[in-house]
Amino acid sequence: MDNKKKSNSPSFAKRFSQLSSKALKSKSVWEDKDEFLDVVYWMRQFMGIIFGLIWGVLGFKGMFAIISYCLVNALFVYVYSVSFQQIDEDEYGGVSDIIKEGFMTSFSSFLVFWIVVYSALHA
Amino acid sequence: MLSDSILIIFIAVFTALLSEGLSWLLIYRTEKYKRLQAEVEKQSKKLEKQKESLPDMSDKNHKKKLERQEEKLKLNNRELSMVKMKSMMTISFAFMALLSMFNSIFEGRVVAKLPFEPISWIRGISHRNLNGEDYTDCSFLFLYILSTMFIRQNLQKILGVEPSRAASKMGNGFFTPPSQAGASPFLK
Repeated sequence: MDNKKKSNSPSFAKRFSQLSSKALKSKSVWEDKDEFLDVVYWMRQFMGIIFGLIWGVLGFKGMFAIISYCLVNALFVYVYSVSFQQIDEDEYGGVSDIIKEGFMTSFSSFLVFWIVVYSALHA
Repeated sequence: MLSDSILIIFIAVFTALLSEGLSWLLIYRTEKYKRLQAEVEKQSKKLEKQKESLPDMSDKNHKKKLERQEEKLKLNNRELSMVKMKSMMTISFAFMALLSMFNSIFEGRVVAKLPFEPISWIRGISHRNLNGEDYTDCSFLFLYILSTMFIRQNLQKILGVEPSRAASKMGNGFFTPPSQAGASPFLK
């Protein structure tokens, strides 16, 4: 019973490696909506951290930096979903739902890394 | 400044782990929670699938059937929120005490320099307990809240304890007023 339960819900590490190989392949076939949205979610988290580090190192400041991050982030997710994976947007409740997926969490990770790196290098 | 910022991120990691640990101890491992959680997940997904496969909402029988299922799901969702509420309140009180302790440790200390000037209603948090008029000075509380926002959410996702998208979409917790019953995304 316990084994059956375990096989039905793979560990996070296993699921993560499965999803990353699918995510890097163009036009992958997704088992369900959640699978693709998880990819978008985790991709966003990495983007938040990486862009936060870059913005901090380059010393970007002000409203321009925040807006440019939001635009680059949304554009990246849009191009990835529509051009690279070519998913049917309507199946996911429209492009806006995909663009909103994990946005706030990634925005906060971007802010933390941007602030910390900027303070360390430019303050 | 860098050491303070890194320390705050570690504090956020520590409190997020502690909070999830306590939640597991008081909520997630209980049989009632497991049963209700499984039930809500199952019903949410079933309802979503039915809605997708039956686009013709003019059929009264289908509509009534969906309404009945939705009502059942709402009851389960409320019960689940009740199970969570008591323990969440205990955890919240413990964390408020912890937060005030850290707040007093970092009182008056500029922990980071913001690369932007926050809008007026955020300054209350970002400039909390700090002297001077330079609003790019960052307080402990602001960095702690931001760190907690992304660490806790990701931790819940890794541990698999966050509510599923189908259940979140329903959004019928204990605090949702009953008057919104007709405003379901499934019965438009």
